Amino acid sequence: MNAPASPTRQERGRADKTRTERILKAFHEEERFGKAYDARLTKRLWGYLLPYRLLLWASVAVILLTSVGALVRPLIMRSAIDGVVQKGDRVALLHGGLLLASVLVIEQLLGLVQMYAVQVAGARAVADLRREVFEFLQGLRLGFFDNQLVGRLVSRVTNDTDAILEMFASGALNAVGDLARLFGIVTLMLVLDWKLSLIAFAAVPPMALLVMLVRRNIREAFRAIRAKTSRMNATMNEQVTGMTLIQAFSRQHAAASEFDESNRSYRDANMSAIKWDSIQDAAIDTVAAICLALVIASFGHRAVSFGTLVAFTAYLSQFFEPISQLAQRYTLLQAAMAGAERVFSLLDIVEPDAPPRVGKPPGDSALAVELEDVSFSYKPGSPVLREVSFAARRGERIALVGPTGSGKTTITALLLRLYEVESGTVRVFGDDVAGLGREQLRQRFAVVPQDVVLFPGTVATNVAACEEPDRARVEDVLGRIGALDLFAARERGIDTRVDEYGSNFSTGERQLIAFARALYRDAQILILDEATASVDSDTEARLQKALEELMRGRTALVIAHRLSTVQKADRILVLRKGRVVEQGTHAELLAQGGLYARLHELQFSRAEQESALQSALEQVPAE
Amino acid sequence: MGQFYRHAPRYGVGLLLLAAYQLFQWWFDTRMRLAINFATAGRSAQAIQLGELLVAAALAGFVVRVLSRVAIFNAGRIAEYELRKEILERLLKLGPSFYRKMNTGEIMSRVTNDLAQVRLLLGFGVLNIINTGFALVSALAVTLPISLKLTLASLSPLPFVLLITRGFSHGFYTRTRDNQDALGKMSARVLSSVAGVRVVRSFGLEPQEVAAFEKTNQAYLDKSLALARLRGALGPILTATISIGVLVVFWYGGSMMLRGELDAGGFLSFYRALGRLTWPLISLGFVLGLLQRGRAAFSRLTDIFSAIPDISDGDSELPAGAVGRLEVRHLSFSYDGRPVLDDVSFELPAGKSLAILGRTGSGKSSLAVLLARLQPTPRGSVFLDGVDVCDLPLATVRKSVGYAQQNAFLFSTTVARNIGFSLDEPDEHEAISKIEEAAREACIESEVLDLPDGFDTVVGERGVQLSGGQKQRVALAAAFASEPKVLVLDDPLSAVDARTERAILSAIDRQRSQRGLILITHRVSAAAHCDQILVLEKGRVVERGTHEELSKNGGIYAIFAEEQRIESELQRLGGVALDDQQVAE
Repeated sequence: MNAPASPTRQERGRADKTRTERILKAFHEEERFGKAYDARLTKRLWGYLLPYRLLLWASVAVILLTSVGALVRPLIMRSAIDGVVQKGDRVALLHGGLLLASVLVIEQLLGLVQMYAVQVAGARAVADLRREVFEFLQGLRLGFFDNQLVGRLVSRVTNDTDAILEMFASGALNAVGDLARLFGIVTLMLVLDWKLSLIAFAAVPPMALLVMLVRRNIREAFRAIRAKTSRMNATMNEQVTGMTLIQAFSRQHAAASEFDESNRSYRDANMSAIKWDSIQDAAIDTVAAICLALVIASFGHRAVSFGTLVAFTAYLSQFFEPISQLAQRYTLLQAAMAGAERVFSLLDIVEPDAPPRVGKPPGDSALAVELEDVSFSYKPGSPVLREVSFAARRGERIALVGPTGSGKTTITALLLRLYEVESGTVRVFGDDVAGLGREQLRQRFAVVPQDVVLFPGTVATNVAACEEPDRARVEDVLGRIGALDLFAARERGIDTRVDEYGSNFSTGERQLIAFARALYRDAQILILDEATASVDSDTEARLQKALEELMRGRTALVIAHRLSTVQKADRILVLRKGRVVEQGTHAELLAQGGLYARLHELQFSRAEQESALQSALEQVPAE
Repeated sequence: MGQFYRHAPRYGVGLLLLAAYQLFQWWFDTRMRLAINFATAGRSAQAIQLGELLVAAALAGFVVRVLSRVAIFNAGRIAEYELRKEILERLLKLGPSFYRKMNTGEIMSRVTNDLAQVRLLLGFGVLNIINTGFALVSALAVTLPISLKLTLASLSPLPFVLLITRGFSHGFYTRTRDNQDALGKMSARVLSSVAGVRVVRSFGLEPQEVAAFEKTNQAYLDKSLALARLRGALGPILTATISIGVLVVFWYGGSMMLRGELDAGGFLSFYRALGRLTWPLISLGFVLGLLQRGRAAFSRLTDIFSAIPDISDGDSELPAGAVGRLEVRHLSFSYDGRPVLDDVSFELPAGKSLAILGRTGSGKSSLAVLLARLQPTPRGSVFLDGVDVCDLPLATVRKSVGYAQQNAFLFSTTVARNIGFSLDEPDEHEAISKIEEAAREACIESEVLDLPDGFDTVVGERGVQLSGGQKQRVALAAAFASEPKVLVLDDPLSAVDARTERAILSAIDRQRSQRGLILITHRVSAAAHCDQILVLEKGRVVERGTHEELSKNGGIYAIFAEEQRIESELQRLGGVALDDQQVAE
């Protein structure tokens, strides 16, 4: 396999050490941070905001309005103070004070309304996006999910959209107002007294330089914190999960030092952020104080009113406020863009579930299902079904029998067009499944899978498979399969909550819920993948009775594991390696002495061994 | 709160720095008053001189302020780091009885959320409590000399600021929690829909799924807007309250100026001093809320780092020339009062092999973990080279008795490091050859070499996904590489195909020449490779002997053998094994 000249791994020993470390390092670069602004993504996000654009525009208008308020406040102070100092006007002072307070409160109220408007627009737009992603997942073909990690898909709907939401929640839009205000402050100061302004601004350039320098470091620190946090938590999660392994190999010290490394670098990243953040925080206060000192010093030289001095002080503190928030906003913006990127790349996948196509000409509608020369494979080159042909008449009960991997479940999946055939035709009531809408096709079937899936909700919502079940009907179907007493015995009856994965129900109970779900649906064709798990004899009896009720008056395809089920079938199809090798009734097939006869014999002797084992074990005394 | 005392010097420095900073502030305000008064009186030279001093003071204040924050926030972070370190070290010592009570999710939630609360208290909380005190003193030192009445009048709304923020702090906490709960419910809904996608498709449940999801989506939207309303309301309410103080200063202070009771400089420095108090008081309100939550969070953390490990080191040593002879004498064991093993005895001479065969729930896996003291092994029941394992240091026992668990767990690191998990220097030449050798023995080498980065491919939860059988063989290789005297393999073949099974069994045969081997299995074909076989049922040894003996005597073992022969015949008729790519896990 290896070329003879290539060095063995050992010879590369030293180089490998760095290689391993390089690969691990690259692996731990958890989140790649892209641009904070991406025109393409922004345009696409804007599409979701469009329905709420009135809120956004209104909010921009309010932001500008509140900025005006903020700009006017120092002017009010100035005139009130000058009124007192120069003219001794006591009434002007009172008016000025009241005016100032009302402007402030109105400004804040408008600010509240504006912040909330942005939040509403953002949250609704993100909720719409989330819904779209979820709906999109509902339209993807089943094969897409076969090679996806469930957790990652959940992340797309929750965490990634949340990163976008955070952008709105943090008030990033206020940057518009900050900018407008900055511009207004500079203009007004110049108009009030340009010379004094120039003195005040003398401290700005060095400070701007410092802030710029610090800002980059803060941004870097925040980025590092994000990455280190997720790495540290992942490491701890993994160590706790793999605790037995760590203890079995006595690796506690190694584990502790590995964790210490991520814990330490998390601490250091935070301490670095603290340093830069403190510098920025203090720098802003300090520069305001310095400007103030400069203005006061020059105040001695020049005839400027005291009111103007007060107004200048107020403007100066407003001037530096927004700068402190720039770094955080930048990181949030980056995270939002990264989230949007991931969400949109999911939405760009084109793998539709059962897209409508032009079907082949209809066949015999007296046949409930029909497969004609159907071949199929999940992975190219390893066929699962090879030119399978069979048909079931309306009302016929067919048992599919064969060893594991012979293609039984695949046949049922193709009937529902969960996967696309490679060649051949699948017909249901004479219609090519490729030509039917997926809803139109699938409503003809009721399916009981081998592994029962229960959804969050109650017994009733699981039976009805919807949020608003017809309770009478739920009770009726549970009664008909002889399981109503079982669930009625619970405290909340059919409204008993279903825990995660249905863990508060036994295997038998879960089976019965799945049976009831199929019966509630009342479809023409039943597909049942019999569970292999053994249940106690009481439950077994219930299941047999329920199965009988379920098949009554329906075409049924049963992947059978129990002899009793097979014997009830009108016809048995025996599959092997993706082909139908035998078919007929139980008696006919036994008489043929082929694969079925052999399988039957083996099953039978296995059952014999099982009962022999039971009696042998009964002799082992119980504790 | 031991953390607080341990870092007392750091906090002490922070305290001094904060005091110095507030002193600067006081100095600044009072000198500013003088400077303004000089300026208004036309004494510009003195005003300019003072102005220069003020600039210098501002710069000095800058340094002090930065240092004070760094000192105290760092102390909080360091305390957090140490707490987390202590917690993990405790977790590494704790045994199964602890992990039965607290699952991974619960532990993670405490270590992330609760620790964050404690850290906020130790950093932000401490800083604000100290700072608010100093700020108050420093501000009063400016305002009181100016006017007692004006001070009292302007400070009157401040207690309300404190009360308001405290209330908001509680509101934020509960609404944030509700918000997280709603997000959790929504995630659960997405998870169940994706995990159950086959059923959703088969029943055409897509519209119902979207409706159910939309309900959780709306609930989350509502909760996040509720949080937004609270967030948004804080500003206006606080400003309205604070502006009362500003109004008082203007009106009352203005009329004082008019009466000549207050000079211009005094007015401005009063205004500035009042402004300095606003933020500390707002923060203090939050800290008061934090104090309560921080204490509760700390007690939840205490549940972890005061838990007592149920398995502890012994202080004996193995005799010189220990060979790895294992002996089990009358071992009985129960979980929470439910007996799982009853009077099990056997002996494994050095370099021999023993199979323990039984059905699910027969107690065979419990026996496996007791041998290496991964569960609290009862004293006087398991002996290694004649010494009770309870008297030996844990590291010695576990180095001698290697254990490979049934549900193979891989860490998110390279394949090589997973296999060389027990090695101190997994990157050294010697270790590399040992790792490769172990991989070959466990029949995983060629598959590893096919991975994108070969042995350096990152696997595990977050890396390249291996199949169940591959994971099991990597775990087996790790067990080989650890080179114990006795190797305990818990069902190492439960997820591998027949061909690999044969290869592994022959590797196990080879391992036997180097070390003792205990094979826990339900497969007769695997047990047949061992020198001796125990059949376990309901925690008791019901049969023992060699494969030949047991096959002939027509007991439980013989029935197992026949049953499994039929199984494999059924498999053979199927030809190909289940296409594992068909089933998405």
